[in-house]
Amino acid sequence: MLWACLALFVLFPLAALVARAFFEGGRFAPGALASVLRDPNHLRAFGNSVLLGVLVAVASTVLGFLFAFTAVRGGLPRAWTGVLEATALLPLISPPFTTAIAIIFSFGPRGLVTWHLLGLKGVSVYGLASTFAAETLTYFPIAYLTLKPVLAALDPNVEDMAFSLGSSRARVFRTVTLPLTVPGLGNAFLLVFAASLADFATPLILGGNDFPVLPTQAYLQITGLFDFKGGAVLSFVLLVPAFAVLLLQRAWVGRRYYVTVSGKAGAQTAAKSVAAWARWPLLAGCLVVTVVIAWFYALLAYASLVVALGANHAWTAVHYRVIFSEGVKAIRDTLVIAGLGMPLGGLYGILLGYLVARKVFLGRRAMELVSMVNYALPGTIVGIAYLIAFNDPPLVLTGTALIIVACYVFRYSPTGIRTTVALLQQIDPGLEEASASLGAGSATTFRRVTLPLIVPAFFAGLGVVFIRSMTAISATIFLISINWTLITVRILENMTELSLGPAAAFSMLVVAIVVVVMAALSRLLRQFRTPGRVMVASLLGG
Amino acid sequence: MGTGDIEERHGRPGALRARGGVGGHVGAPHSVGIRLERLSKRFHHRVQGEVYAARDVSLAVAPGEFVTLLGPSGCGKTTTLRMIAGFETPDAGRVFIGDEDVTALLANRRHLGFVFQNYALFPHLTVFENVAYGLRVQGRTAAEITRMVGDVLTLVGLQGYDRQFPQQLSGGEQQRVALARAIVIRPRVLLFDEPLSNLDAQLRVRMRAEIRALQQALSITAVYVTHDQEEAMAISDRIAVMSRGSIVQEGSAETLYARPASEFVARFIGRVNLVSARVVAVGVDTVEVEVAGQRVRAVAAAQPAVGDKVRVVVRPETVELAPAGSLGPAGTVVARTFLGEKVEYQVRVGDETLQVTRPGGAADARFAPGGAVTVRLPADGVGLLRDDA
Repeated sequence: MLWACLALFVLFPLAALVARAFFEGGRFAPGALASVLRDPNHLRAFGNSVLLGVLVAVASTVLGFLFAFTAVRGGLPRAWTGVLEATALLPLISPPFTTAIAIIFSFGPRGLVTWHLLGLKGVSVYGLASTFAAETLTYFPIAYLTLKPVLAALDPNVEDMAFSLGSSRARVFRTVTLPLTVPGLGNAFLLVFAASLADFATPLILGGNDFPVLPTQAYLQITGLFDFKGGAVLSFVLLVPAFAVLLLQRAWVGRRYYVTVSGKAGAQTAAKSVAAWARWPLLAGCLVVTVVIAWFYALLAYASLVVALGANHAWTAVHYRVIFSEGVKAIRDTLVIAGLGMPLGGLYGILLGYLVARKVFLGRRAMELVSMVNYALPGTIVGIAYLIAFNDPPLVLTGTALIIVACYVFRYSPTGIRTTVALLQQIDPGLEEASASLGAGSATTFRRVTLPLIVPAFFAGLGVVFIRSMTAISATIFLISINWTLITVRILENMTELSLGPAAAFSMLVVAIVVVVMAALSRLLRQFRTPGRVMVASLLGG
Repeated sequence: MGTGDIEERHGRPGALRARGGVGGHVGAPHSVGIRLERLSKRFHHRVQGEVYAARDVSLAVAPGEFVTLLGPSGCGKTTTLRMIAGFETPDAGRVFIGDEDVTALLANRRHLGFVFQNYALFPHLTVFENVAYGLRVQGRTAAEITRMVGDVLTLVGLQGYDRQFPQQLSGGEQQRVALARAIVIRPRVLLFDEPLSNLDAQLRVRMRAEIRALQQALSITAVYVTHDQEEAMAISDRIAVMSRGSIVQEGSAETLYARPASEFVARFIGRVNLVSARVVAVGVDTVEVEVAGQRVRAVAAAQPAVGDKVRVVVRPETVELAPAGSLGPAGTVVARTFLGEKVEYQVRVGDETLQVTRPGGAADARFAPGGAVTVRLPADGVGLLRDDA
C-alpha cells in the first residue's frame, strides 16, 4: 500500500519527467538535451544558478555561524538569545516573496531608501546583487539551525582544557572550536546551496531579465511557451547539481561527524571562549541583520496599510478588503489544501517512520530512500514532474486539489518520518518488553505504549506540512488551476501586476496564520512526555 | 535459610510497609517453581562468529525461593533471565514454570513480573497508570484497579504519588514504581535484571533489603540477576555463579564462600588467598595438607592422592598473626592499612603474599610494616582446589 503510494507519487512522476526529456515518440532522443546545452541562454542560467548558490551558501554559512556562535557561546542574557532566535525564525515561516518585496520597497526605482532617502533616479534593483542579498537573508536560518546544535554539543570542558594548556582565546577558537565545527559548516553550506539552487520565487521577482537561473527558465518555458519538453529538459539539468549536492552531503557528513558529548556531561562550566568585551561586537553584528529583517517586515506591514508605498502614504484598509473579497477564494483553497494535507502528511510520516525504524522487511532501505526523494529535489523539478505525469491518462489529476495535496504530503512529510525514527530510536525497547511482561499482546503494546510515544512526531509532521502548504510555491505553481489556487500564487500574480499593497497584505496574513499555528503546535508538543523533545522550529531548517 | 534469619540480617524488616493484611491483597495465591533444562542461546558475533550466550544452563528454583544468577558482564546471566521471561527464544532446552512447559509461550502469556535495569517505566503515563497498565490489560473493573493500585503503592511506600510522572521521581522511587507495576498483576514469578545498578551505594543497600522483605512477604519465587557479589549474598537463598554462558557452581552464600569449587568462584566471591599446598594424608571426607610447613585439614570435593599438589582457599579473616618466634610459619609484614573496623595486612610467607584481615581492636592488629610475624592458618575447614582446576 505504502509502496503503491510511493511508486505513484514519487517514482512515476520522476520517470515521466525523464521520459519526457529523453524520449521522442517512443524513441530515445538525447538531441533535446544537446540543443538545450548548446543554447547560450540556458548555459548562462546554469552558470548563474551555480554562482548564486555558492555565493548565498558562503554568506549564509558565515551569517549562520555568527548567529549560532553568539547564541551558544556569547554568554548573553536570555532575552538577547530570544531576539536572535526570533530573527532566524521569521524568514523560515514567511511566504517566499517577503524579502524580495521588501527589497523592492526599499531599493527599487521608487524605493524608500534609493528614491526618498538618497534621491537616486533610475536605479535598477534587479540582478545578482539583490537576489543574492534576499536569498542570504532568507536562507541563513537554515545554516543557523544546522550549526547551533553542533556548537551546543561541543563540550566547553574541551575548550577549558585548551585554555589550561596555555592557549589564547583566538588560538582556542582556531585550533579547537572551529575544527570541531567543520563538518557542521560543510553541512550548512550544502543545505543552503541546495535551497538556493531550488529557489524559484526570489530570482523570479528580483532576477530580472539579466539574471536568468534554471528554475525560472524552466517555469517560463512551461507557463510562457507551453513547452513541456523544454521544461523537462531544463529540470533534468537542474537535477544534476541537486543530486551531486545530496551525494556530497551524505559522504561528507556521514563520515566526519565529531561527537564530543560523552555519556556523562562534564562539570557545567561557563563558556570562556568569548572574552567579555568581544560579546558586544558579536551581538552588534547579529543585530545589524536583525534590524534589516525587522525593517523588512515593518515595511511590509506598513505597505499593507497605506494606499501605495512610495507614492501615497495615506492609511487605508483597502488592501485587506481586497484580499478578503477577491482573494478569499485563494485563502479558502489554501486552507482547505493545507487542512487536507495536514492529517494525511502526519499519518504518512509516522507510518513510514515506524516501518523503517522498527520492522524488518525486504526493501526497507529502498523505501526510506524513495520517501526522501521528493523532499531532496528542487521544488521546480517535482512540480514539473507532477504536471507531466498527471496531465494525461492513465491518471489525470491536473486541476484537482488532490494533486496539490499529494505534492505537499510527499514533499514535506519526510520531516515527520525523520522525527518518528528519531523518537523511536530513543524509546527503550525495554518499554515494549515491559508491556509484554504485563500481559499485553503486540497490538495492545503498539496502541498503548508505542503510539502515544510517537504522537509528537505526528503533530510535528503535520505542523510542518501545514506551514509549508501555506508558504511553498516552487512545486505547486505548476499545479494550480482555475479551480484551485493558492495564496502564494496570488502574491506572485499581484507582484507581476505591480499591485504591491495586496501582495504585502497577503504576506502579512500568511505570517500571522503560520505564527499562530506554530505557537499552538509548540504548546501542544510541550504537553507530551517523551524521551526526546520535539521542536517545530528546528524542524523547518531543512 | 528461614525468614527469621533474613530479618535478623537486614535488621529492618519493617522498611517495607509489608504487613499481613496488605500482603494478602497483592501476594501470589500459591508459589510455583521454575525449572530450566539445558537452555542454550547462540548469538552471531561479528568477529568471533557463533558465540554461546548461554550453554546448557540447567537450574531448579523451588517455590518461594530467591535465587540469584551472579557473574561478570557477558556471562549469560541476563540472557538466561530473558529466556525465562520469554524475551529471548532459546535455541535449545526448555523452560518450565510450575509444571507448565512455557518454552514456546510468548512473553505476554507467561504471567511473570519483570523488573528492568533501567525500570522501563512508561514515560507518558502517571505512576498510577504505569502500575494499572497490567490490570487494564487483564480487563479488570475500575474499582478493582483503583483498590489494587492503591494497595500496592502503599506496599512499596509510594502513597500519594499517583499523579506524578516517572521523570519527576528519584531513581529509588522509580525503582519502587517498577516493582509495584511488576507485583500488582500477581505474577507467578518475579524476575529482576540488575534492578539496583543505577542507584547510589546507600540506596542500593536499602532497596535490596526492601526487595528481599517484599519477596518474603509475598512468598513469591524470584530470580535475580546481578554482578555484585555482596548484593547477591545479601538478598538470595541460593546463588548460581555463571561464567561464559554456564553455571559453574550453585549453593548458599555460605557454601560458595567457604567451599568454592573453582578458582573463578573463589576469586569472584569475596577476597581470597589461594595458597599452594601438598596433600599429606587422605581421610574419608577431609584431607590433610601441608601449607608453608603447617598441617591443615581441608575439605575436598574430589579425592586427591597423597603427594598431589593442590591449592587451598584461605579467606583473609581466618588467618591470625602472632609475634615472631611463635609456633607456625614465619612471615614479614609488607603493608598495613588501617580501615577503622578492620586492619588489612599483606604478609609475605616464603614465596607467597597473604592477605590478612584482622578486627580493628584485635591484639594482632598492631604489627608494623617490615616487622617479622608468625602466621597461623585456620586448623581446619579450608577449601581445597585441585591445581588444575
